[in-house]
Amino acid sequence: MKKYYPIFFLAIIVLSSVVLLSITNSLTKDKILAQEEEATLTQLNNMFSEMTNYTLDGDIYFITAGDNIIGYAFKAIGNGYGGSISILIGLETDKTTVKGISIISNAETAGLGSRITLPSFTDRFIGKNINDVKLTQDGGQIDGISGSTISSRAVVETVRNTALEKIQELAD
Amino acid sequence: MKVLWKEFTKMLVVSNPLFVVLLGFCPALAITTSLDSALGMTFGLTFCIFFTNTIVSLIRKWIPNVVRIPVFIVIGATFVTIVDLVFHSYVPAIWAVLGIYLPLITTNCILLGRAESFAQHNRVVAAIGDGLGAGIGFGLAIIIISFFRQLFGTGVLSILGHTIVTLPLLNEHPIGIFILPPGAFLVIGLLHALFRRTGVEKSE
Repeated sequence: MKKYYPIFFLAIIVLSSVVLLSITNSLTKDKILAQEEEATLTQLNNMFSEMTNYTLDGDIYFITAGDNIIGYAFKAIGNGYGGSISILIGLETDKTTVKGISIISNAETAGLGSRITLPSFTDRFIGKNINDVKLTQDGGQIDGISGSTISSRAVVETVRNTALEKIQELAD
Repeated sequence: MKVLWKEFTKMLVVSNPLFVVLLGFCPALAITTSLDSALGMTFGLTFCIFFTNTIVSLIRKWIPNVVRIPVFIVIGATFVTIVDLVFHSYVPAIWAVLGIYLPLITTNCILLGRAESFAQHNRVVAAIGDGLGAGIGFGLAIIIISFFRQLFGTGVLSILGHTIVTLPLLNEHPIGIFILPPGAFLVIGLLHALFRRTGVEKSE
């Protein structure tokens, strides 16, 4: 019996931990969700200045002003140099022109790859046809950030591939 | 009460985790770019060490030696996760800045170190003093570091959105290296030298 005591003890510790954490989780869950929704709303507002409301269908945000749809937005996750990059992408109503992008989170090298979050980079996507969203050296129309080609390419490829996927979904 | 105070000041000054024992460098380098993140880290770490030390000390007689490290880690991780969830819901801005360094408190050498080397051998009151001292001692150290880094690196000193001081010349031409990782090494090195010079270490 004594042989099993450590296992027994550890199990009790883990069990108490689980109980404590599920209580904390249930207390904070709603607040975290609300917090994230508010952050998304702010980002959508920055992208679509005329927006009055949005509806979420599947994982695509339909941006509305009054009764009219003024654009579409969705989130994309790509692999950068230091980890995953989460991006919010906005499309015009023609479903081919980029309204704008914004980087929600990233783990790129501070001061180098992390420059993908700056407007000086994200503004380069505004008004581009989705098929031209490639780096200049890959035959597209987006200039990468010098010294951060991997991060720039990750953003560009993620934006194009995800957008093409979602455009297909919208068409269906 | 006397024991609590004795252990508290021991960790606060004589064996300050960062300046004297040189532990916890990862967070100290990473999140000392602003006073806000340093304050958040101080609060999170102190909370975690306090509870981990207290509980480890309370159950120290029943912890089987072979599984003591897993036990410490599970207890530590529980409180770290609580801090993570609470920060995420109430102070999302600070939570975002601290990022990975908040969950990493779990493997923080100070948290595990105090449980292993102190709390499991000592009575609760002493362990509480030791835990609070380690948390606040480390906290004071990173607050001092972030004070210099933010002041020289951005030229503006602000706390929770309120600007305290704006330096006239540095405001326009900040010394960028202070915000970058090498700046953390410079500031920590200079402060460590100062701690040695003033003889705090000799009293140990």
